[in-house]
Amino acid sequence: MIPGNKDNRDGWLFSIPFLLVFVLFMLYPLVYGFVISFFKWNVLSDKVFAGFQNYISLFSDEKFYTSLWHTVEFVLITTPVLLVIGFLMALITTSKSPLKKVAENVFFIPYIFSMTVVSTLWAWIFQKQYGLLNKVIGLVGIQPVGWLTDPNWAMWSVCIATFWWTAGFNMILMSAGIKQISSEIYESAMIDGANYRQSVFRITIPLLKPTIVLCLILQIIASFNVFGQVYVMTGGGPFGKTRTIIQYIYETGFSYFKMGYSAAMSYILFFIIMIVSVVQYISLGRKSNE
Amino acid sequence: MNSTSKTKRIIYAFLLSLLLLLWFFPFVWMVFTSLKIENEVVTKVFHFFPQNPTLANYIKAFSSSKILRWMLNSAFTSAMAMILTLVVDAPIAYAFAKIRFKGRNILFWAVMAGMMVPFQVLIIPLYLQFNSYGLINTMSAVYLPRIALPIGIFIMKQFFEGIPDALEEAAFIDGASRFRIFSSVILPLGKTAFATVTILSFINCWNDFLWPLIVMNDTDKYTITVGIANFQGTHGTQYSLIMSGAVIACIPQFIFYLFFRKKIIAGIAMTGIKG
Amino acid sequence: MKSLKRIAIVMLVLCCMTSLFAQGASEAKTSGPRIVTFWSLFTGGDGEFFDAIIDEFNKTHTDIQLKNDTVKFDDYYTKLTAAFAAGNAPDMIVCHQGNLLNYVPSGQLLALDEYLKADNFPVSDFVAAPYDACRFDGKQYAIPLDVHPIIMYVNMDLLEKAGIKEIPQTMDELIADGLKIQEKTGKMGIDIDNTTAVYKAYTLTRLFFSFIYQQGGTFLTADNKAANFNNQYGYKALQALQDMVQKYKTTPAGLDYDTAMNEFKLGDAAFYFNGVWATGTLEQQAGLNFIAIPVPGFMGKPAAWSGSHTLAIPAKANIDPEHVKDILTAIDFITGHGEMWAKAGHVPTRISVQNSKAFADLPYRKGYADSAASAVAPPTTAAWDEIYGTCSDLLEYAVVNGQPIQEALDLMETTVNKIIATY
Repeated sequence: MIPGNKDNRDGWLFSIPFLLVFVLFMLYPLVYGFVISFFKWNVLSDKVFAGFQNYISLFSDEKFYTSLWHTVEFVLITTPVLLVIGFLMALITTSKSPLKKVAENVFFIPYIFSMTVVSTLWAWIFQKQYGLLNKVIGLVGIQPVGWLTDPNWAMWSVCIATFWWTAGFNMILMSAGIKQISSEIYESAMIDGANYRQSVFRITIPLLKPTIVLCLILQIIASFNVFGQVYVMTGGGPFGKTRTIIQYIYETGFSYFKMGYSAAMSYILFFIIMIVSVVQYISLGRKSNE
Repeated sequence: MNSTSKTKRIIYAFLLSLLLLLWFFPFVWMVFTSLKIENEVVTKVFHFFPQNPTLANYIKAFSSSKILRWMLNSAFTSAMAMILTLVVDAPIAYAFAKIRFKGRNILFWAVMAGMMVPFQVLIIPLYLQFNSYGLINTMSAVYLPRIALPIGIFIMKQFFEGIPDALEEAAFIDGASRFRIFSSVILPLGKTAFATVTILSFINCWNDFLWPLIVMNDTDKYTITVGIANFQGTHGTQYSLIMSGAVIACIPQFIFYLFFRKKIIAGIAMTGIKG
Repeated sequence: MKSLKRIAIVMLVLCCMTSLFAQGASEAKTSGPRIVTFWSLFTGGDGEFFDAIIDEFNKTHTDIQLKNDTVKFDDYYTKLTAAFAAGNAPDMIVCHQGNLLNYVPSGQLLALDEYLKADNFPVSDFVAAPYDACRFDGKQYAIPLDVHPIIMYVNMDLLEKAGIKEIPQTMDELIADGLKIQEKTGKMGIDIDNTTAVYKAYTLTRLFFSFIYQQGGTFLTADNKAANFNNQYGYKALQALQDMVQKYKTTPAGLDYDTAMNEFKLGDAAFYFNGVWATGTLEQQAGLNFIAIPVPGFMGKPAAWSGSHTLAIPAKANIDPEHVKDILTAIDFITGHGEMWAKAGHVPTRISVQNSKAFADLPYRKGYADSAASAVAPPTTAAWDEIYGTCSDLLEYAVVNGQPIQEALDLMETTVNKIIATY
C-alpha cells in the first residue's frame, strides 16, 4: 500500500460518488421500508402504528413459510448447478478448441435477453399441449409432460430456463479468472506428467477460488431474489407450489395492500440473506481478501 | 500429435458442436416462431420450420407501436446508466481494493446489503422520493437507481486487487497524488474490467422492467421492455407477435455486445503481455 | 488519457441527445384543445378495439383530446397505486369494478354525483346492476364501461356429430353430454381450465363461485366477515367440478388457460367456459361453428361470475369542474360507443347501445347480452383479492388431486376466515 496517513481521507473521498447515489436511492428507501414494517399501511391511507405485530403475524403465516421454502428450493438447485455449468463453460472458452469463440457467444447471449423474453420463450417451449419439448419427446413415444403444470416438474422447469439464461454470466467471471492464471504453471505441470483432469482439479480450481467464492455469494443473493421467471412461467402454481417469497411479498403489498406486512417479510428475507452471505464470506472468502 | 489424441479431439469438437447447437436452439425457436403466422404456432399439426414464413409480425410490431422510439429511449437510458456506473463505481472499487481506511468493512457490507433487499419493498418509497424531486416521467428516473451496481464494484475491486502494488508505489515515489495514480496508472489498466462492467450495467438497465414501467407515464417515453410487454394481450397469448417483439428488443444489445467483445479480447491480450 | 477523451466525447453527444429529448418532453402548452390524460389496461386484441374508440373521439372532437397510455394488466395496479400514493394519477382511469374498493375508502376517486347532475349525464341509460355496483356508501365513484361475465361456448358441429339435440340445462345433462361427446367424437367434453401455469387462471374459481349463487347461496356472509360456502351449496359445486376431472374425465387435469382456449378454437372441445372476452378471438377462427350463451342454471337459477371495467376520475385537490365536464364528455362518448367496445366481446352497459342495430349486427353478442342480467359481482370487501387468489390455489389442488370434498371445503373455510381477520 502507498505509505502515508491520508488513507482514511482518501478512502472516503473515493467513496463519495457512490455514497451519494447510495444514500439517495438506496439507503433512504431501505430505511423507509424498514420503518413501514412496524406499521399497518395500505399505501393510500394513514399509517397505523402496529409495533411488532407484522413480525409476529408472519411467524404463524403458513404461506410465508411455504413461499420461503420454495425460494430456498430454488437456491439449493440453481446455485451448485450454475456454478458447475459456469465453470465448465469457462473451461471450454479458455481451452484450445477451435470452437471456443463460438462457444463464448452462444453461452453468453441468453444473458442479454430480458426476464420477460426468456420466461415467455421457455413457457412456450414447455407448454404442455403445443410446446416444442413435448412434441420432440412425442417423437420417441413419450407421453406429454406437464412441465409447468405438474408439481413434480414445475420448479425444475423454471430452473432449467434459469440455467440457460444466466449460466453465461458465471462463465464470464470465471473465464476472466482462469485467464489470469499464468500459463507457466500449466506448462510445468504438463512437464511433470499431469493430465488434463489433474491440472483442472489441482491447479485451476484452487487458483480460481476467489472468483468461485465471489460467484457463489452473488449467485446465492440473486437466487434468493428470484421472482420474475417463476411468476411468468407458473404464476406460482400449480396450486401455489412454486410461489416464491418475493412473489408473496409483492402480492401482499400491491394486490392485498398490506404494505407493512410486506415490508416485514422483506426484512426477514434480507436478514436471512445477510446471515447466509456473511457466513459464506467468513468461512470461504477470508483467505482471498489477504 | 499421435492419432488417438487427434481422434479424441475430433470427438470432443463434435460433441461440443452438438452442445452448442442445443444451447443455441431456443433462440432459433424464438426466431422461427416470430416468422410464423399465429395459426401455425398453435396448431395440431406441428411444423418445425415456418411453412409460410412471414414478416407480418415484425411489420405489425413496427407499424402498430412506437418500437423505434422505445429503442432510442432504452439506448439513451442504458448508455447513461453505463457511463455513470463507471464514474460512480470505479473509485469506490479502487478504494476497497487498494486503500486501507477505517470503516471499509462496514461500507463494503452496506454495498452488499443493497443487493439483498427485495426491490419490491423499495418501489413505493423510491417512487415517492423521485416524485418529490419532480423526476417522475423523466428519463433520469429510469437510470438513476441503476447506477449503484454492487456487482460492478466487486468485479472492478477484484480486478484492481490483481494490479501489483509496485506500480502504484513507483508512481507515488515520483510524487503523484492518489488521484493521479488512480487516473493515470489504474484506469488505463482497467479496460478489461470496465468492458465487462459496462456490458453488465448496459444489459441490467436495458432489461429493467418493473421500475421503468412504474415511473414512465407517457407511451412515448417507454423503454423497449415496457413497450413490448404490451404485445401480450389482456386475454390469451399471441406467441408469434411476442416473439417478434423479443427479437427486435434484443438486437441492439446483441450489436452492442459484439462491438464490446473485441475490446474485451484486446484488453485481455494486453494484460497477458503485461502479466 | 485517450479513454478519458473518448468518454468526454460520448458524454457530449449524450448531452446533445438529452436536449433533444427535453424538447420532445416540453410540448407547448399554448392554446389548443384541452387534454384529458388517462391510463388503461387493454392490450392485444382488446387494446386495438379500445384504441379505435379513442381515435374516433379524437377525430370527432376538436376541443378535447384524449391522451391514452396503456399498461399491461398484470402491472397496471402496481403503477396506479404508486401514482395515487404520490398524487400523480392521470385525469381518468380504467379500473375493474372489483378493484375500486382499493381506492375508494382513502378518497382517491372523485365522487361523481353532483358532476353527473350538473352535466345532465345520461344516468338512466345505464343498466342498473353494473351501475349500482360502482356505488359505495351512497355515492357514485365510477361509470361502468362493460360487464364481462363467464359464459358458455358450444361447438355446434361436435354436438351434431354426437347426436345431441339440445343444450344441456342441468349438471347431469352437461356431464352426460360431455361423456357422449367424448365417446362419439373423441374430443374433449367439458373445457374448463384448472391450473395457473403461465396464465393465472381463475375459471375454476369463477365457476365454483357461480354454482354457489345458482343454488341460492353466497360466497361470503352478508357482512363479508366470514366464508359462507362450507355447506351443501359449496359441496355440490366442488363435487361437480371435481367429478368432471376425476370421475367422468370429461376434463383433463392440468389444463391451462391458453390450451383450454385453443382446444375450443381448433374445434377439439364441445363445451367451453370462459369470459365473454374470448368471443373476439374465437370468431376469427374460420370454420368454427359455435354459439355463445349465458351459463345455464345447471344448479338452479342462472347466475355467473362477472367482472366489469369501469371508468373513474382520480380525486385531486382543487379539481376544476370544467375539466371534470370534459372527462365526463369522454366517458359519455366511450360508453355510448359500446358497440365498438363490444367487438372485443364485452357486454355494453348502456341500454341504448344494447338496443342499437350496430350491436345487434355483431354476431354472437346478442346471444349472451342477457348474461348481464344474471351476472354476480364479487363481494365488496378489501379482502377479496387475497381470498380469490388463495381459493384459486386451493380449488385447483382439490380438483386436480381428488382431495375429499369436505376436507377441501373445511380448509378453504378456515383459510378464508383467517384472511378476513387480517384486514
